[in-house]
Amino acid sequence: MLQLELTIQGLINGSMYALMAVGLTLVYGLLRILHVAHAGLYTLGAYIAVLIANASGSLLLGAAVAIPAVGLAGMAVYRLLYEPILDRPPYVALIASIGLFIVMEEAYRLVFGPYGETFSTPYLAGRLAIGPIGAKGAEVLMVIAAFGLLTLLALLARRTRFGVAWRATVSDPAMARSFGVDTIKVRYVNFFVASGLAASAAILVAVLNNLVEPTMGSVPSYKTLAIIVLGGLGNVAGTLAASLALGVIEAFGTIYIGHLLDRDAIAFLFLVLVLMIRPQGLFAAK
Amino acid sequence: MLRLEAMSCGYGGMRAVEALDLEVGAGEIVALVGANGAGKSSTLMAIAGHVELQGGRILFDGDDISSAAPMARVASGIALAPEGRRLFRDLSVRENLVVGGYVRDAGRQARNIETVLALFPRLAERFERPAGTLSGGEQQMVAIGRALMSEPRLMLIDEVSLGLMPKMVDVCYGAIRALRARGLGVLLVEQSTERAFAAADRVCVLESGRAVWRGSAAEARGNSAVIDAYLGVGRATADAAS
Ligand SMILES: Nc1ncnc2c1ncn2[C@@H]1O[C@H](COP(=O)(O)OP(=O)(O)OP(=O)(O)O)[C@@H](O)[C@H]1O
Ligand SMILES: [Mg+2]
Repeated sequence: MLQLELTIQGLINGSMYALMAVGLTLVYGLLRILHVAHAGLYTLGAYIAVLIANASGSLLLGAAVAIPAVGLAGMAVYRLLYEPILDRPPYVALIASIGLFIVMEEAYRLVFGPYGETFSTPYLAGRLAIGPIGAKGAEVLMVIAAFGLLTLLALLARRTRFGVAWRATVSDPAMARSFGVDTIKVRYVNFFVASGLAASAAILVAVLNNLVEPTMGSVPSYKTLAIIVLGGLGNVAGTLAASLALGVIEAFGTIYIGHLLDRDAIAFLFLVLVLMIRPQGLFAAK
Repeated sequence: MLRLEAMSCGYGGMRAVEALDLEVGAGEIVALVGANGAGKSSTLMAIAGHVELQGGRILFDGDDISSAAPMARVASGIALAPEGRRLFRDLSVRENLVVGGYVRDAGRQARNIETVLALFPRLAERFERPAGTLSGGEQQMVAIGRALMSEPRLMLIDEVSLGLMPKMVDVCYGAIRALRARGLGVLLVEQSTERAFAAADRVCVLESGRAVWRGSAAEARGNSAVIDAYLGVGRATADAAS
């Protein structure tokens, strides 16, 4: 029974990682940028949602505003930060991205204070149970949201003309452009979707913990970087699998080796072990 | 239809092709042959807009397209099956074709796919497979089919037969002749002079970026010793240079 509960807990955390890491791997696949500031956008989503939810009394309204707003913020990050330095060596964008992430965290601290915001009425805190197995409402919603949104994304990527053009752009941007694909539009949509997914993950985490704080993106930022390396940089399916795998391994690790190793360090132990055995990641990049 | 007037192209300071005059008419196959590094691919890529034009003009149906973007050239009716094929490897055959037809509206997509599958029935069997998993011959069919999706009047095809099994080469040339019969102009690059002379109407030989011989395919067959010497000479200089 414990095993089953740990697996479920792992899949819940894995769903959250997946929502965030997919965006990161999409950005990497398209632009070869390690988009560390993704985690700053994630936190922004939680702040917008909590402020609007508390002002209006509606979490749904908060989410409905926060997700597209963060999508737009992601597009702005591309336009203002990355686009001007795309022809520089990759570490330039990496440093810029880390810089932006730090600035964002400090800005949240200055504007919203260091102690964080809570929802004036907690949402989805009740427990749903099937027999002896149970999870909080927000946790169930996390899994549903991850599954639903990522399935929708996969359908759009496979079934629509624009989705096909998007994947062609990832595969060979110059060729795609020469066939008439608007590769700049692909980039904007890519950032919008990636950032919106991160915001939705952040809102659910905020609801789950009933806390939004300036540094809530820090731990996810490095864990999702580890995940996309494990998943084979740019490989979406690999990233999803690595997200769930890390979630489950952390859940088990907390119980079985938690006395030796902090939960957040388990991700790195896992990363180091995998990279020792398979330097290309669990799933080779394309 | 296509007309190069003293076209020069290259890469930054480096000149790949010098003052090339060339014409391709509707319903005509022109073969570019030459040793490695002679400038064949550069010529095709300059016509498609991927390599920097450094002099002269490129006319298509009398319009100067010298400074048009690659996509505008596709829209005006020039399609490229490039060196190395450059398929979208993770995308299925169908999806490669969809991207190939991106400049045409979605309504014409289904009809154009029919056309490609009629030309290459084998692709129907591979339709949902990732292009990267196909054999070399099948990949060449996808590359030609993808180019056809934009409804071109001029096809540029690089390395038609390189690395393909003879049977596949026959299939590809069969398709190219069928395109000519429909009135398309075809400019192709061919490593095998035998294949080039058999398929083409006219032949142009490049050596170190200059046209050194041109004539009908029949004349080329009669002068194959001369042409082989050009290719051989090209090779010898290339070897000496390296
Ligand atoms: N991307 C590039 N950058 C710089 N120089 C290039 C580039 N591509 C080709 N060249 C040079 O341009 C010249 C012509 O090359 P090109 O590829 O057009 O020859 P080719 O006739 O197609 O040869 P091959 O039979 O090997 O394909 C060569 O000297 C080559 O080294
Ligand atoms: Mg070549």
